[in-house]
Amino acid sequence: MDDRRSELKKIIMDTKTLPTLPGVILRLNELSESNKASVQEMAKIVSSDQVLAARILRLANSPSYGFYRVSTISNAMILLGVNVVKSLALSSSFFEIMEKDRIGLWEHSLGVGLAANLIARKLGLPECEEIATAALLHDIGKVVISLKCTDAETQIRSIAYEKQLFTLEAEHEVIDSDHTEIGAWLAKSWFLPDKLSEPIAFHHNVDLAENHRVKTAVVHVADVLIKASGFGDSGDSFVPQIQQTAWDVLKLTKQQLAELVEEIEEMLVEVKEFSLEMQA
Amino acid sequence: MQKIPLMNAVAGMVLARDVFRNGNSTGFPVCSKNTVLTETLITRLENMDIAFIHVKGHLLPLDGDRSLGDILHDLEHRFVKVRQDPLMATLHDIYADYYRRLMGDDGGRQTE
Repeated sequence: MDDRRSELKKIIMDTKTLPTLPGVILRLNELSESNKASVQEMAKIVSSDQVLAARILRLANSPSYGFYRVSTISNAMILLGVNVVKSLALSSSFFEIMEKDRIGLWEHSLGVGLAANLIARKLGLPECEEIATAALLHDIGKVVISLKCTDAETQIRSIAYEKQLFTLEAEHEVIDSDHTEIGAWLAKSWFLPDKLSEPIAFHHNVDLAENHRVKTAVVHVADVLIKASGFGDSGDSFVPQIQQTAWDVLKLTKQQLAELVEEIEEMLVEVKEFSLEMQA
Repeated sequence: MQKIPLMNAVAGMVLARDVFRNGNSTGFPVCSKNTVLTETLITRLENMDIAFIHVKGHLLPLDGDRSLGDILHDLEHRFVKVRQDPLMATLHDIYADYYRRLMGDDGGRQTE
């Protein structure tokens, strides 16, 4: 890694200035690693932080998961899985920043979460909730850039606009790295499982995903579909290409693609409502 | 047809789909399609915690008050880098068809 990148990595990963992880999460981590802990015990720990618990419940009831009505943390843990609840807890401080200051990116992320869930269900894939979570988190690197390198972010936006580039290309011009790499650094420092970190790291280059290519492909296609629909603001004004690898891995038909567009567009009204509700 | 939050419903709108108790077809059906909404009916649906309904036509502007022409123009612009690829051209056409159906002749604004 060249000097500029390692310097950037140092700035970005300086944990003192990253949003702090609630102490609850550390204890949850310890518990989920021990085989003896029950879901009830873990739920009790999360519920002890009321703000965090409320945030997790709101997200669990968002259209990105949207097929359940979850009213307690232990329900959320059983229906969505401990991993999903843990990742939602980990990301809650980032979601807070997105909801308030980066509404466009927040709506884009919710939209991709929804689309990924619908794709996974249509294809009958296992672990739909994990896929939806990976999709919700896929652009987390962009939040880090906007937090840690505010000047660079402005520059990235203006270069992308002037030269008509994709955000990813503009990021390379300005910071010699991009949101997928930065998201991967963060995922690593949070010890997120591969099934979440690979889609974050490779949703623009599915070929590089080694262990979770299908999940990464779902997030990639969901990202393209939401960009095509123009919902939210990912920072990109152009729709990227659906990669051949992703298309081949998922074996979607054009008929299924058409059905998905219809289903997604119908549900986006709810996503919009949800986002307005969260901002209120 | 358009899906709208119940709070935006007004008397006179016509249901385009059956309404079910808990918002999906596994729930108890409470009101059938083609029913004309009245104030009383809307209040009743509210009391049942129905959040969304499907109504005929395209009554509420979804995204500002943009015409079909504007929407298709923006779609064209978003796809400008990938239109030459056959799969992406298909995806573009799927979206264009969707918008035409949503806002075009059958159930679109022109018929209101």
